Amino acid sequence: MKRTIALAAFAAIMAVSGTAKADTLVFTSWGGTTQDAQKVAWANPFTDKTGIVIAQDGPTDYGKLKAMVEAGQVSWDVVDVEGDYAAQAGKDGLLEKLDFSVIDKSKLDPRFVTDYSVGSFYYSFVIGCNADAVKACPKTWADLFDTTKFPGKRTFYKWSAPGVIEAALLADGVPADKLYPLDLDRAFKKLDTIKSDIIWWSSGAQSQQLLASAEAPFGSLWNGRMTALAASGVKSETSWEQNITAADSLVVPKGAPNSEAAMKFIALATSAQPQADLAKTTGYAPINIDSAKLMDPATAKTLPDQQTASQVNASMAYWAENRDAIGKRWYAWQAK
Amino acid sequence: MSTYIDVASETATTSKAARPTGFGEIMPALLFVGIFFIVPVVALLLRSVFEPVAGFGNYAELLGSATYLKIFANTFIVSGLVTAISLLIGFPVAWTLAIMPTRLASLIFAVLLLSMWTNLLARTYAWMVLLQRTGLINKMLMGMGLINQPLPLVNNLTGVTIGMTYIMLPFIILPLYGVIKKIDPAILQAAALCGANRWQCLTRVLLPLAARGMVAGALMVFVMSLGYYVTPSLLGGTANMMLAELIAQFVQSLVNWGMGGAAALVLLVVTLSLYAVQLRLFGVQNTGGR
Repeated sequence: MKRTIALAAFAAIMAVSGTAKADTLVFTSWGGTTQDAQKVAWANPFTDKTGIVIAQDGPTDYGKLKAMVEAGQVSWDVVDVEGDYAAQAGKDGLLEKLDFSVIDKSKLDPRFVTDYSVGSFYYSFVIGCNADAVKACPKTWADLFDTTKFPGKRTFYKWSAPGVIEAALLADGVPADKLYPLDLDRAFKKLDTIKSDIIWWSSGAQSQQLLASAEAPFGSLWNGRMTALAASGVKSETSWEQNITAADSLVVPKGAPNSEAAMKFIALATSAQPQADLAKTTGYAPINIDSAKLMDPATAKTLPDQQTASQVNASMAYWAENRDAIGKRWYAWQAK
Repeated sequence: MSTYIDVASETATTSKAARPTGFGEIMPALLFVGIFFIVPVVALLLRSVFEPVAGFGNYAELLGSATYLKIFANTFIVSGLVTAISLLIGFPVAWTLAIMPTRLASLIFAVLLLSMWTNLLARTYAWMVLLQRTGLINKMLMGMGLINQPLPLVNNLTGVTIGMTYIMLPFIILPLYGVIKKIDPAILQAAALCGANRWQCLTRVLLPLAARGMVAGALMVFVMSLGYYVTPSLLGGTANMMLAELIAQFVQSLVNWGMGGAAALVLLVVTLSLYAVQLRLFGVQNTGGR
């Protein structure tokens, strides 16, 4: 009798743990409004369609991802990372190869597809300005680097990533198609000229706060944050002149427990409708080329993919190759 | 009453008898320290000497680069500044608390502790809002006509010092209060009766008596400041970066754990040596003052 109960209990435990494993997927992103939007646009329809529950985790932490993979104890299935990091991590063997028999890449913007990653959404570094706080707003990167014409503090992204170095070179007159390989000496020399006028932002919320409070009335921001700022009633201006694009990417860490379900999730997340839904709420552009026609034209117009006229593509391949070397120099320069 | 004595003496005897073979008793504590402190530190040490290549390259790079040395110097300067200002503000506060009616003092203690228990990030953001160009303080000063241009109070050394001092104050007021409270007011009366003026009472009677508490509190604030991350990162500029932020960059952004480990170990060694100095000077029991 005892034995029967034990066996039954054992079977029950196996069944429960068995189903639990197959029916949940852990998705990790950056938190905040972006992850909320990803939950609504991607995770909910995925659960409706497949019955697989998505557990949200975050924020994304590259140190943690590496530790998990090295220890063979991966608890994340799909992670939203920056594009340059995705390219590097793929090379370093930290990621699973994506299954393109499940994920249809024919409709995805090829700029953001590698063997190990596909774009999650794409954004631009634009020149944002609090129009109430200043007489005139800077329109070009050269303006933003010109402290005589535009005196006052300006804000830039603090971490080493595509965006600021490109902006410095463009401001210094390097043509957009001659940016790579990046002339770091020239970029840092240009950055030196405004160093004491820079306030760094390390999170999107902080960049909004700096602009709204006019602590730094202008600077280089993610376009989605400018959309949010305008929606919150701040009289803001966005200049798309030479907007610098980069994308977030979806990756699967090596050894992820539910990699099969992860591929299905990525397939859904990058399909036309969920991409359009995410773009609508975040102000970031879809990476699926069919998404634009699913959105109303007024919204679509505000997204980076409609600003291609003077768009500059940050080279993820270049950054993946040189991320560590640039990072080291970047932080040393900042601290100097 | 007699039962109490019996129990007490019995415990005393057992512990005395057990002392020579006390290893078994402290085993759980040792195990705890071993698992949660020694093992991670050793792992960190190993990483710092084996990644990316075996050897002391990380340490050489860390201690041989002007930038990193500047970050070390910043860390000590900020910590020293915060300690000095905390002491300057904390001493009069502790003194006032010690001589004030108990009921009022406990009210102020409640405020002190409440601020200590409030979320660190929230307090830091509050300072950010207060100190910025369009913040309350600048607006007030400009409204009073004291300044024409907003003062740069945040994203620089001033911001870090204000924010950190605010957070550290309870840690210096509490030990100082403990020490000052134990000083017999009669001693000061005696000094005054013997002809000492107020200044002499302070410098030759009160301060020497409170010295232990001051040093203990100051050392605690200094050591805590050395490893501070959130406040300097949010209220400071990159030009006065502190060690903890450098470690965060190595680990999170550059994913260079060798360098991160090396920097963390340097910080740990400095901290532990300061504690050793404290123990050496004051012994374990006396850190709270006597």
